[in-house]
Amino acid sequence: MDVQEFGEDGCPIDYSLKSREICPMEMVEVNELTKSYADLTRGKFVAVDKISFRVSAGEIFGVLGPNGAGKTTALRILSTILLPSSGSVHINGASVLTEADQVRRRIGFVSNNTALYDRMNAREMVEYFGRIHEIDEDLLNSRIETIFTQLRMADFGDTPCGKMSTGMKQKVSIARALVHDPPVLIFDEASVGLDVMVARALLETITSLRDAGKCIIFSTHIMREVERLCDRVAIMHRGIILDTGTLPELSERHQQNDFEELFFDLLTRYDQQTGTVAV
Amino acid sequence: MNWSRIRLIFVREMRDQVRDRRTMFTIFVLPLLLYPFMGMLMLQVAQFHSEQTVRITWIGEENWPTEHPLLNSQDLKDKDSLVHWNKLAYKPDDSSPPSNWNELGFQWVKSGDADLVFIVPPEFTESWKSTGQAGLLKTIVNQASDRSVIASQRLHAKLDSWQRGWLRDKLSSSDLNPAIIDPIQTFQIDVAPQETKQALIWSKLLPLVMLVWALTGAFYPAIDLCAGEKERGTLETLLSSPATRREIVWGKLFTVMSFSVGTAILNLFSMQLTSSFVINQFARMGANETVAALGPLPLSALTWLIVILLPIAAMFSALALAVAALARSSKEGQYYLMPLLLAGLPLVLLPMIPGITLSIGNSAIPVTGAVLLARALIEGQYRESLIHAPIVIAVTVICCLLAVRWAVRQFESESVMFRESERFQWSLWFRQIWRDRAATATANEALLCGVIILVALFFGRMSFTSSQLDWPSITRSTIAIQLGMILAPCLIMATFMTASIRRALRIEAVRPHDFGFALVLGLTLHPAYMLLSSAIQHEFQFGAETRELFVYVDSLISAAPLWSVILTLAVIPAICEELAFRGFIFGGLIRQNGILRAILVSSLFFGLSHGVLQQSIGATIMGLILGVIAWRTGGVVCGIVLHMTHNSLTMIVSRAGKTPDSIPGELGWILQQTTEGIAYTDAWLAVSIFVSAMTLVWFCLRSSKVCEGQGDVMPTTDQNAKTWWSLFRMSRV
Repeated sequence: MDVQEFGEDGCPIDYSLKSREICPMEMVEVNELTKSYADLTRGKFVAVDKISFRVSAGEIFGVLGPNGAGKTTALRILSTILLPSSGSVHINGASVLTEADQVRRRIGFVSNNTALYDRMNAREMVEYFGRIHEIDEDLLNSRIETIFTQLRMADFGDTPCGKMSTGMKQKVSIARALVHDPPVLIFDEASVGLDVMVARALLETITSLRDAGKCIIFSTHIMREVERLCDRVAIMHRGIILDTGTLPELSERHQQNDFEELFFDLLTRYDQQTGTVAV
Repeated sequence: MNWSRIRLIFVREMRDQVRDRRTMFTIFVLPLLLYPFMGMLMLQVAQFHSEQTVRITWIGEENWPTEHPLLNSQDLKDKDSLVHWNKLAYKPDDSSPPSNWNELGFQWVKSGDADLVFIVPPEFTESWKSTGQAGLLKTIVNQASDRSVIASQRLHAKLDSWQRGWLRDKLSSSDLNPAIIDPIQTFQIDVAPQETKQALIWSKLLPLVMLVWALTGAFYPAIDLCAGEKERGTLETLLSSPATRREIVWGKLFTVMSFSVGTAILNLFSMQLTSSFVINQFARMGANETVAALGPLPLSALTWLIVILLPIAAMFSALALAVAALARSSKEGQYYLMPLLLAGLPLVLLPMIPGITLSIGNSAIPVTGAVLLARALIEGQYRESLIHAPIVIAVTVICCLLAVRWAVRQFESESVMFRESERFQWSLWFRQIWRDRAATATANEALLCGVIILVALFFGRMSFTSSQLDWPSITRSTIAIQLGMILAPCLIMATFMTASIRRALRIEAVRPHDFGFALVLGLTLHPAYMLLSSAIQHEFQFGAETRELFVYVDSLISAAPLWSVILTLAVIPAICEELAFRGFIFGGLIRQNGILRAILVSSLFFGLSHGVLQQSIGATIMGLILGVIAWRTGGVVCGIVLHMTHNSLTMIVSRAGKTPDSIPGELGWILQQTTEGIAYTDAWLAVSIFVSAMTLVWFCLRSSKVCEGQGDVMPTTDQNAKTWWSLFRMSRV
């Protein structure tokens, strides 16, 4: 008899990554998050300035902004790599400040540079992170098999990561982030540097993960990806969120159907208001 | 900490390193090849010296006394002889004038046509025949040529042998006993067993080799595990996993340590194998006594070295890890190896100085103590080793834990882990310092100030050393050093690098009872400090010259007016040193919860500023107490009171020792006259130690105000236990 497993979010875990009923609960809560640090050129530099947003399970939340907008800093705080200067972040109820260990168990982080150990093969890589998450050995093996099948990684499971193509590496990165079945997945400019085919495959994988009920935060500076993928989007510029909403909401609010124009207008208007010069 | 996760990280890192061909070659293959190669080289050098045939051009053989020839027929007939003689007549025939042999010989030797030119002029025989005394011989050599040097050695060996033979014949012909050439004969009985003698030489050489390799073996994997991982971007992935920074550091530390130990052991074994072979070969070649005494590396020595290696490798590994964490790339990491090696080398070289043996003082010096312990164990001094082992172990463990703590802090620091490469510009840097001034200095600025003070003191003391030593010159130099070398750097830095000079120097108002308790602590701490000073001086004795100088300076101080002495040697140093060490430096280091760091590092700077080793040790210990007071009171004033009281007491007690009659009878239960001078009575010693301990406990448990923005938040009374617990937790690694 099959035994149904439940995740920490209370939703049934479906390892086959098939579509499932979405639990409409908030998985990520960011309130007044600020991060500042000292910089040789700019002095005390506020990289993220009092940003707030909420993301639910089964939702892809896009963080769109130009380079230097503070996207990576914000997502690094969400994944407990950096500490916030002020404000709060809760991932599935756990605070990044006081319950970092719990947060790390509930997130999967895929960074923009496909960070893999060159001298490990794909299977070893995923196994290693599975063991760090203290997953039972039998369960780990079955998860690896499932993920490798879903992501079509079986062919290069024994290939050292250093000898893989960029697309292969990206798949291993995603497999590594998925191995402990986190309810929240963070993709930090994950499509940067990928060719069209690989980028499309990545977006398809993310969509299927959303359909499987995962809460996904996807940062990018490519507008087409946002249009194709994101349920809601936050436009970020110079450390602050200029606006948040679904694409139709944003179009209606700013009376602009062309999303690229909308994005450009928002940024320009902000720079003009604050008197800053676009870099 | 989750040890299974640490094991997991360790196993992964080990596997990763083992798969890296470059690391494996540097760490494992190179040592295996290095010593055989060096051995081969040494054998070839030795062979060159013993078998190399040299050419000597002998000019004027006809001038050598025929009744005592220099060369026998065998020398000339033997084709395998090590010297090929080329004989030329001083005057080819009676009619021709003699050539300019000096010039010709110079050219032949310089061009390499001859290795040595040996000239026997006609005067040599004349002098010989007329006076019976040897005349002047000339040799032309090239000291920059190995062959020429060997030729010279062989010729002189021949001449020495000839001289002894000639002397023996002369004595015999004069009916004298030739044995009078050697009027004394000694017969030495050596009690040292051959094994110990062999161990003695190895014990001086091996720890150096072992420690250099342990550091090298630690550093390359450390660079790869820190800077390399940053470069590849994998560190970010690991930091977002459930593994805590402490677990990551421990996992990496065990990996680096394994490589460090592995490299050092491999080197030792490779050295042992090669040395056994090479020394056997030397012995066969009839090498000199030193080589014969060296013998192969004893296995017992190897075992002791490995035992000592483990804690030292742990310390070096943690240091290497912390330093490598600073680097943004592997290339940058390489630059940090040499400073680390240079910083560690004096501690390794110190035990090689003749006369440095295992003692209580030496065993408390990090690394040096461990090396001396290894040496004592190798030499079979087990009793000595057993006595000093606890100190060495304690010091090494403390250093290890501090090094690991530093490495953990590096991994916890966002500015270290995620700092991005910026083009450095002096103008930008100065602008940033001015623009981003905080109320107190940063930790880096505090460290810089400490280093500037030490360097200034080094040069200042040398420049103020005058030939004329009197009280006015002592006053002038002391005030100049205190104001110019200690106070000025921190005052200048506080002015330009901080927003508030008062807060940067931690000048805070104190409560009257704090003032009183500081005074009591100063008075009651002095006897214990005197006891400590005499113990330190017993352990590290002053040389006769230094002792004489101290006695002379002491007499000058005693003769000077008391107010002048107190002002110069108590008041000014107390103010200047406290503002610098417990003010600016302490205030910078205590930021971001660096309480332990502030107390330890400021006391170390304070100790080092005293110049003389014996004073430095005592001052470092006193600096720890002053650091605790500075932390608990949130300012420097109590420290100044304590410091001033302590220094004043030293002057007063010393002066009282010169005129024992001036001590009032009422103070008889405090001070007493002994054969070595004035001293505190045992009763007062016991009372003062108790009172000072209680006062110190009071300071530690007192409630205090909050010094906001400085990072050293003072707890209220009910939070004291929590604060001390947090300090204890911070000291954990």
